[in-house]
Amino acid sequence: MTDATTSGPARDLSGARDMIVCQDVSKWYGDFQALDKVSSTIKEQEVVVVLGPSGSGKSTWIRCINRLEQHQEGRIVVDDVELTNDLRNIEKVRSEVGMVFQQFNLFPHLTVRDNVTLAPIWVRKKPRAEAEELANALLERVGIPEQADKYPGQLSGGQQQRVAIARALAMEPRIMLFDEPTSALDPEMIKEVLDVMKGLARSGMTMMVVTHEMGFAKEVADRVIFMEGGQIVEQGTPEHFFENPTEDRTKLFLSQIL
Amino acid sequence: MGFAGSGVEIASVAGDVPVPATPPITPKLPPREWLKENLFSNKFNTALTIASAAVLLAIARGLLAFIFHPERQWHATATNLRLSMTQAYPADQYTRVWVSVAVIMTLVGLSMAVWRAGQAVALDALGRKLLSYGAILALLVLLAPFSSRATLIGLAAAAAFLAVGEVLRRRDDDDRTISSLTLLVASLGALVGSLWVIPYGHHSFIIDRTPRVLAEPGTVAMTTKLPWTVMLLVGIAAYFIGRALRDRLPVNAFRTTILLVWFLAPTTLLYLVLRDPSFDMGHVISTDVPIWAVFTVAGTGLLLWLTRPTTGEIGRIVAALVLVAALASFLTPMRMIIRLLLLLLGLFSLAAPTFAGDVSARRRYSGGWVGVISVLCWTVTAINTPSTIEVPGDFFIGGLSLTLMVAIFTIVVSFPLGLLLALARTSKMPIFRLLATWFIEFVRGIPLITILIFFSVMVPLFLPNGMHLSEVSAVVVGYALFSSAYLAENVRGGLQSVTRGQHEAAEAVGMTTGQKTVFIVLPQALRVSIPPLVGHCIGVFKETSLLAIIGLFDVLYIARNVVPNQTEFLGSTRENLLFVVVIYWVFAYQMSKASQRLERRSGLGER
Repeated sequence: MTDATTSGPARDLSGARDMIVCQDVSKWYGDFQALDKVSSTIKEQEVVVVLGPSGSGKSTWIRCINRLEQHQEGRIVVDDVELTNDLRNIEKVRSEVGMVFQQFNLFPHLTVRDNVTLAPIWVRKKPRAEAEELANALLERVGIPEQADKYPGQLSGGQQQRVAIARALAMEPRIMLFDEPTSALDPEMIKEVLDVMKGLARSGMTMMVVTHEMGFAKEVADRVIFMEGGQIVEQGTPEHFFENPTEDRTKLFLSQIL
Repeated sequence: MGFAGSGVEIASVAGDVPVPATPPITPKLPPREWLKENLFSNKFNTALTIASAAVLLAIARGLLAFIFHPERQWHATATNLRLSMTQAYPADQYTRVWVSVAVIMTLVGLSMAVWRAGQAVALDALGRKLLSYGAILALLVLLAPFSSRATLIGLAAAAAFLAVGEVLRRRDDDDRTISSLTLLVASLGALVGSLWVIPYGHHSFIIDRTPRVLAEPGTVAMTTKLPWTVMLLVGIAAYFIGRALRDRLPVNAFRTTILLVWFLAPTTLLYLVLRDPSFDMGHVISTDVPIWAVFTVAGTGLLLWLTRPTTGEIGRIVAALVLVAALASFLTPMRMIIRLLLLLLGLFSLAAPTFAGDVSARRRYSGGWVGVISVLCWTVTAINTPSTIEVPGDFFIGGLSLTLMVAIFTIVVSFPLGLLLALARTSKMPIFRLLATWFIEFVRGIPLITILIFFSVMVPLFLPNGMHLSEVSAVVVGYALFSSAYLAENVRGGLQSVTRGQHEAAEAVGMTTGQKTVFIVLPQALRVSIPPLVGHCIGVFKETSLLAIIGLFDVLYIARNVVPNQTEFLGSTRENLLFVVVIYWVFAYQMSKASQRLERRSGLGER
């Protein structure tokens, strides 16, 4: 069932429920407008890749979805919970939305296993034994079960990013956000991280990925969104987006990076 | 020589065949080549070496000439050793001092075993160390204005060091090591053993109908050498007991117990051992124990329930109720300890949902509660127990003991205070931030001596009726407030070094602010703050010397104002001050070494 995502025409997700709804989301840093009325709806199991030149607002947008940044206008609803100043809503959304950062942001004073089990134990209130079982399974899934007792500083960048993915998955999220997950990696390590992400996409996870990896977008994405100047310029299936984009700015961007 | 050759060999092999497995061995140079490499490598360095050596030699010579000058009254220091250590503490109660030292030695021995102190020292490295010690000793003996006999003895000792060192150094192919603990015990043993053998002389005051100074040749008094020997043996025995227990007991429980005893030790030793308390058993059993028991049982039950993940909203309401009860208790006549316990229980209840979890987490949280209130109840009971020791003056003990007590209590009290201030100053809540900032900036703007004078003179006058605070306690409170402001700034530096990414990662997995602070931010911040924090502790210890200015009998006051005014030792200030310098240096240097060890241990995850 999920293998269909790897190739061929995009899946029909029109019947799926809305996981993330953004309506006219705007945000300013001082006078600079980082997001300009961004509207989009992401369906359950959908994999969305966000592209755009640097400074186009794609990271800001993705960080607004779990409230690491605060939007100033518009509405963001994640899994039927609207993000407002209500702390309980924010904690609820955060515990359902996993996030992977460009700089990994692993906890350097904890072992890999403790990095993964910390949030399940204290946020999800899972018994320690259960959390450790889950951690072992997840580390197996991202391909580094043997590193559980090491500290993050003893791992390579690719391994660290895979631990970060396992850490996010340990909260059993319904949505995963990736903020340029491979941008800080050496080229030979990018593939190992992308492979994990592809596996995740095939398993039916709802994903929003900010990346420059066009191959990943072509292969896995259900939809590609192109942003510039804080606005969504163009969006569509990878075939449409890469084969015959309609907007001039999209064409220019693609000609520069492809 | 042979070693340098083998190094070349390895290099040539590595050139022909790629063998990346073994790292290149840096050959350790023999002493002559080490000197050439490091001190006389070119003309400029040779000139620098000779110039600095000349300066150092001149200083050492001057110092040695001063120390061994025939007019020096070193027997003033020796005779007044007990005065410098404990001031007027009665001699017939001195067993209490030795019991206290024995308790600390036991704790040190147990802790060293349980935390696996010590490391392996390679034999050739030890040899190099001994060689340099021998060289320094020989140099000092030659520089000192000794009689020819003393010079000969000194040179013989230096030669022994050099010979043993050279034999060990040559065994660089020998992989055997020796534990640094063995070396520590050997040096301490040599020190204590020398008390029995070397005729340091027997000096003391004879308090008789006509007080007189006793100065006999021979070894030191039995009341000195015997207890110190016993203390060393106690420490060694405790180490071996700890080692035997460490493999049989669950290690974490053992460590927690020892930590708890460490926290109970200062108040216990000060109030219940040294002060010869008139312990009112009836009052303790009828009041103190029941209060403690009720709060232990009821508090544990409440917290076990509140930390259940399923308790939910109702827990917050209960916690709020406890807090209201605590605040109300301050308005009604009630024992202070009950008010404090209620307040603590309210805070623990409020934080309970943050640390909710599975059974072991809940037990640990309730265990923390029991530990905290045990220390608190015990401290209050101990403080409220009157002393029967009769000594002139405000405080029953002085000298180095007073210095250490003030330093230890100040550090222990100011640590949690400083941590809270640092967290408040970096908090998002404006009211906390403002109060903490005001307090810190206010305290940092006042000289320490002003605070000490204020607390020693004014504060006891302002206290409400029936509340008594000795001058020393008041000074400790003031000093702790002062110290906590600086400590807060050191911790704040650590808090700010935790990157934004760490905060975001913790938030992104749904942690509350409390969880983020306890599990992510504080551990990293404190690790970064170890060097400044230990520096601060060393500062607190050294600045207790300001007690001398407000007239408390600390070790410096005795050296500067008491001993030089005794008719027998008029004008012996310089000797005493030099002695105090050595005492301060020994303690400060040990703290600094401890900090280095701590840094090395906790730096585990950094690389």
